[in-house]
Amino acid sequence: MYNLSAKQEGFSTTVGLTVRLTSVNSPTQDVHTEYNPAAISDEQLLIAVGNSQDINAFNQLFQRFSNNIFALGMKLTRNEQLSHDLIQEAMLNVWQKAPLYDLDRGTAKGWIYTLSRNRCFDMLRKQKRQPNCISADDIWPQEANTELMPFHEDSSGQEVEIALIERFFDQLSEPQRAVVEQIFMQDRTHEEAASILQIPLGTLKSRLRLAVAKLRKLIEVEQ
Amino acid sequence: MNTEVNLHPSSELLNQFIQGELATGRSVVISAHVELCKTCSEKTKELQALAVSSWVDPDSSESSIRKTAGDYSAMIQNIVKEEQIKTEQLPELVTASLGLLDSSISLPRVLAKAAAKGLVWKKVAGGISEAQLPLDNETQCGFIYMAPGCQVPVHTHEGSETTLVLDGSFEDELGKYRAFDFIIRDQNHQHQPISKEGCLCFAVLDSPLTFTSGLARLMNPINRYRFRKAISKYA
Repeated sequence: MYNLSAKQEGFSTTVGLTVRLTSVNSPTQDVHTEYNPAAISDEQLLIAVGNSQDINAFNQLFQRFSNNIFALGMKLTRNEQLSHDLIQEAMLNVWQKAPLYDLDRGTAKGWIYTLSRNRCFDMLRKQKRQPNCISADDIWPQEANTELMPFHEDSSGQEVEIALIERFFDQLSEPQRAVVEQIFMQDRTHEEAASILQIPLGTLKSRLRLAVAKLRKLIEVEQ
Repeated sequence: MNTEVNLHPSSELLNQFIQGELATGRSVVISAHVELCKTCSEKTKELQALAVSSWVDPDSSESSIRKTAGDYSAMIQNIVKEEQIKTEQLPELVTASLGLLDSSISLPRVLAKAAAKGLVWKKVAGGISEAQLPLDNETQCGFIYMAPGCQVPVHTHEGSETTLVLDGSFEDELGKYRAFDFIIRDQNHQHQPISKEGCLCFAVLDSPLTFTSGLARLMNPINRYRFRKAISKYA
């Protein structure tokens, strides 16, 4: 989580940036560094919008992407008014869905492109009064996060695997263990676990991903 | 997932699909193929990554298009007043299977969703039934079922016909087509499809395909196949 304290047009000022990093070896650490806003990645901005409704970060994203969204609109609709409406629709969607973004979903550019194309497609469908039995999100569905599953669901081998996981459990960091416990032992959804542990959804997912990767590695070595 | 799919959409078509340039019907049939075909699913990811980098490339022709300079602060202020979506609302996962005679098959997600309101099957010619599914104003879309051993009367197309085989197989003068194959035929092809084992397809036609046979009207006008749908959410 971090705060962008720069003013809207403040490309020349530096801002305080606190990034919370989670890694396998160092559970949680806060890094405080001075950054130029132009050097902040799209991903950091998007996560700030999602985690703390950071309006300055949203402003930055708007400045970076609104022209691209307009150009995409012009290419697909050849209509200036519609393309202008698309900026509104797509950036509104970016704001609304930012809490759902995490690094597992790929780059921020790719994520914003997908939202913009989908909103544009739906706008055109609506304008042409096409049947509304499906929407762009059905045609280009979000990937299910299968890589967060430690093993293929195979009930026959499951008992062995749970025993294996328990053996390596204490090699995980405390925050990782908490996440694994919530998801795989308490059988909670990602959203429930994030709210119980009082951490953002994105943080939960990256911890889970790292924990699962570590467990997989440990089990591979064992076998 | 079938890894032995023989016929795929061209890279050019996949690229148009990714960039949102195709009409809904054609986008849906490609989406269904991509879901079923590992090769095209991977190719689609690569093409999307390319589309994204060209989208944000400051030297691309698209980037020369500038929005009207103006004050967007009111727009931004209105947007940030809106509630954010905190928990994932996964779209309803519609699963559906089509029961045909003694077998039933699961539909790709996008087709299951599109057909969620139900299908009305009509016999169009000997052994052939279709259930239309309007998706846009440019194409005629729908499921086509060929009963085992049936033959489509000779026909040509004014525009083009895109077909995705969902189950079974059929053949024509140009080849044999199995599950998940993606086939495009245009006015240059005159063909007479025949299916020995029966076949279920989803087809998108630029122009309506009409059979000359007047007998079709004498057959049972409407035949409803069982359409089972189960709606479930994945946690």
